[in-house]
Amino acid sequence: MRTGVKTGLLFLTAFAALLLGIGVGSVYVPPGDILALAAGRMFDLPLPDHIPASYSAMVLDMRLPRVLLAFLTGAALAVCGAVMQSLLQNPLASPFGLGVSSGAGLGAAFVIVLGLASVGLGTFLLPAVSLMFALGTVFFVLLLAAKLDRRMSNVTVILVGMVISLFCNAVMSLLATGSPAHAQRIQLWQLGSFSMREWSAVWALGPVTVLVGLYFLRHAGELDVMTFGEEQAMSMGVDLRRVKGRLMTAVAVLTGTAVAFVGIIGFVDLIVPHIARRFFGAAHRRTLPACALLGGIFLVLCDLAARTLTPPHEIPIGSITALLGAPFFLYLFFAGRRDN
Amino acid sequence: MNKTAMLAVEHLSCGYGKTQVIQDLTFQIEAGERLCVLGPNGCGKTTLLRALAGVLPYQGYVEADGVSLCGLAPKQRAKKIALMSQFARTAFDYTVYEAVMLGRYAHRRETLFPAETAADREAVEDAMRRTGVWELREHSVMRLSGGQLQRVFLARAFAQEPKIILLDEPANHLDLRYQAELLESLRDWTSDKRRCVAGVFHDISLALAFADTVLLLEEGRALACGSVEELDEKLLDRLYGMDVRRYMKRMYGRWE
Repeated sequence: MRTGVKTGLLFLTAFAALLLGIGVGSVYVPPGDILALAAGRMFDLPLPDHIPASYSAMVLDMRLPRVLLAFLTGAALAVCGAVMQSLLQNPLASPFGLGVSSGAGLGAAFVIVLGLASVGLGTFLLPAVSLMFALGTVFFVLLLAAKLDRRMSNVTVILVGMVISLFCNAVMSLLATGSPAHAQRIQLWQLGSFSMREWSAVWALGPVTVLVGLYFLRHAGELDVMTFGEEQAMSMGVDLRRVKGRLMTAVAVLTGTAVAFVGIIGFVDLIVPHIARRFFGAAHRRTLPACALLGGIFLVLCDLAARTLTPPHEIPIGSITALLGAPFFLYLFFAGRRDN
Repeated sequence: MNKTAMLAVEHLSCGYGKTQVIQDLTFQIEAGERLCVLGPNGCGKTTLLRALAGVLPYQGYVEADGVSLCGLAPKQRAKKIALMSQFARTAFDYTVYEAVMLGRYAHRRETLFPAETAADREAVEDAMRRTGVWELREHSVMRLSGGQLQRVFLARAFAQEPKIILLDEPANHLDLRYQAELLESLRDWTSDKRRCVAGVFHDISLALAFADTVLLLEEGRALACGSVEELDEKLLDRLYGMDVRRYMKRMYGRWE
């Protein structure tokens, strides 16, 4: 299939997934009605008679932001996963390996344990503090890696990231054990959720995702060169230390922002890049946009499953991604192996 | 300094951390020349190439094509010197054409929407035809044999359009025919008198058959540097700590 056709199909699927995600819930809203509601709000048009007026708030202020947040998170995590895999030349690398998730988790745990999460500012204090902790952790990991190893080799970065992550997790466990009342909330936060269905989260994550995504796209050529090994990349004219430092910082900012709002959602960053590469090849100019769309679609559908499989309870989104992701990934991986 | 020197290295020292591997090395390569660097394991052959290719920092003075490498932007340096590394490989599914096109990195400006120029496409096709990988252009690099991959990386070095190509054990893991073809395409490339090649080899007979100049490295210092024909075999014996001629006779005697 031509790349153009595949891209078109991907956009259509993304659109369909968004409509499905918005439409399915306690009451089903058909796609036509969703579009009518959106057009009604945007252009101040009267609604068709068969749509109750209360639907406007439900669809546009509760479901739409939630679905968009899921889409943005999926796009952000998938793109960051692809970039980390290329930067570290390791198909199993993940942005969480830099300590983003454990740092964010630690920040969130502090806020929850200190009882600040329920205070008026809480809805924004929690993401703000966890973002700060996430960035601080990554910065510390990179600084330490650079200190230990001037060339900042991938093995050093991965090892330091792992050690610091484990350390943060240990502190977080201590906090949770020390205040059992908050332990469950900390644990639930770690599994991720889109229940903070507010436009403010979308307005915060949206611009960061777009800007960092474009930044990655601008460095697509460098990422391509770097997947063939750092020594080669340097001899081919890549200013390696600088590019690597900047891209890793960008990864930290984007994953940190996403994690701060929705908690830790695994698997998207790992599997989506592999799926994107299978259909669009390895060149980042095509893979990165494909990752963004596929990641978005994947999380919107996972969130749909999380909301609807066991009503009235929600399954934590992190479990769903792993439940759906693991078998799917194995299938793709082994089906691919057999072809060759 | 000699006007025709393509690569001039003066008092070069470099190493890892506090360990100096290359010490006060001075030599030069003329345009059109093929230099081989010989020496036992650990004498600093690969380290020398890495310093020249901009992978490793060094002290001393290096001039390529009349320009000092010191303070040169990475892309500008890459337009002068390419490295065909021993360890290049990828974990991702690029086509052969895409992999060779990456060699054009130094000639491009990074923008949001970079376009391949006609010059890019010409350089890539020329490089791929020289190395005989044009027919493989739609193949995935992950499904190539070792010999094919090695030729793809050579094509990429050609596509970089450097003045100097550094080779780290280019014939490793290649069977005889691929070895011969690879060295032939390199010889062909240097026949243009404005280019030169420096290669590290551990196969002495292959190196001396390919090169016209030889640099003997002993513990990071130059033991000798000169034309292959005038090479004093006693120095080889000293370098490798054995009677090289007798060994070669025993090895290759049956082909006489």
